[in-house]
Amino acid sequence: MLLQIDHHSGQPIYRQVIDQIRRQVVAGQLREGEQLPSVRDLAGQLRVNPMTISKVYSLLEMEGLLERRRGVGLFVVALRKDKAGQTKADMLEEALTKAVVTAVQLDIPEDEARDMLAQLYQKYNSKMRRPSHE
Amino acid sequence: MNDNGSIVAMEKISKWFGGTKALDEVSLAIPSGRIIGLLGANGAGKSTLLRTIIGLYLPDEGRATTFGTVARDLGPRELARIGYVHQEGELFNWMTVGQLIRYVSAYYPNWNEDLERRYITDFEINIGARVGSLSPGERQKVAILIAIGFKPQLLILDEPASALDPIARARFLDLLLELIQTANRTIVISSHILSDVEKVIDHAVIMDHGRIICDRSFDDLREQYHRIRLTGLHGPLPVQLPFAGVLDCRRNGTEALLTVRDQTPQCIEDQARAIDCEAEIQSLPLEDIYRVVVNEK
Repeated sequence: MLLQIDHHSGQPIYRQVIDQIRRQVVAGQLREGEQLPSVRDLAGQLRVNPMTISKVYSLLEMEGLLERRRGVGLFVVALRKDKAGQTKADMLEEALTKAVVTAVQLDIPEDEARDMLAQLYQKYNSKMRRPSHE
Repeated sequence: MNDNGSIVAMEKISKWFGGTKALDEVSLAIPSGRIIGLLGANGAGKSTLLRTIIGLYLPDEGRATTFGTVARDLGPRELARIGYVHQEGELFNWMTVGQLIRYVSAYYPNWNEDLERRYITDFEINIGARVGSLSPGERQKVAILIAIGFKPQLLILDEPASALDPIARARFLDLLLELIQTANRTIVISSHILSDVEKVIDHAVIMDHGRIICDRSFDDLREQYHRIRLTGLHGPLPVQLPFAGVLDCRRNGTEALLTVRDQTPQCIEDQARAIDCEAEIQSLPLEDIYRVVVNEK
């Protein structure tokens, strides 16, 4: 599990860690049933206060992303389809909102923005990208 | 330990030095397993508070207990569990660093030689040097080593990193985080260098003129204040902005920069949308939070 803390962002560390773990669970980088490092290990690895990590774990447990098996540790829960879909939609909406606000403020018409979105999909979505020898 | 699980408990402590009231009815409970940042301007009472914890100063009024023992009665049993690094850094100048370490370690049966060796390497301490010939930063490194070498349960650090260079400071903060990984160890650190302590503390205590004006979890404190950068979606900003809890507002026709307290990001965003604006919400760095709290009281 690769996590990164930005001490200059001003965002509380526990939020940074929660966001990153949530993202990895939803994106499937952390798989169902995978065990998370212990509070001590993760705190040591990220060089943060262990209290921060126990807070992260209990909040993610409450959110239903992690499950505690007594005496064993914390594991990634099988996400219900609708819940995973909702979380993904929320994350995308957050990103797109920023883009749309920029577009509106720069007076870029909606169809132009849509075209740009389509082009970006072409560029980044490997499933849509035709094999080429460029 | 006393009833509420605190290792330090202070109730309405006051302390005078001549006509100056250095502590003014200060109450504080320090639970174990925390890293507490003690913040405040020069003369706010930080050092007096820290010295009261270990019984170096006795309160004129109120009651202070450490490890369940009243400050006046703290004896070797309690003091052997407390490490203390103070600003003056008084050490035996005629000894070499190595001699000083051996001398101090002899008092502690549980002295940790592994930690000592690693610390000497990591912090590039010259054990052959005469203590009196050390620079302030080198002295501070030695003072820190002899305060942590016996793995104290309570570590009190009064401006410990002020003389250290940036690299040594970063190593020192890493060391604190390493120390706290062991259960039930508590660290109280006072510092002016807020950008340093904000990386490690989980609790903030802010003092001003002998009083504690803020005592809360650092995460809560961080989320109490937000900075909003407000820009109009279609043209200029309205004359009246709808936000509550505004502490500071700078604006021109099209942009505004606000500092607010006790407003949720969701609420800020909704209010911004209602006036056709976009709100970019940021948290405040500890330095700014500190300034806001001190100005607000």
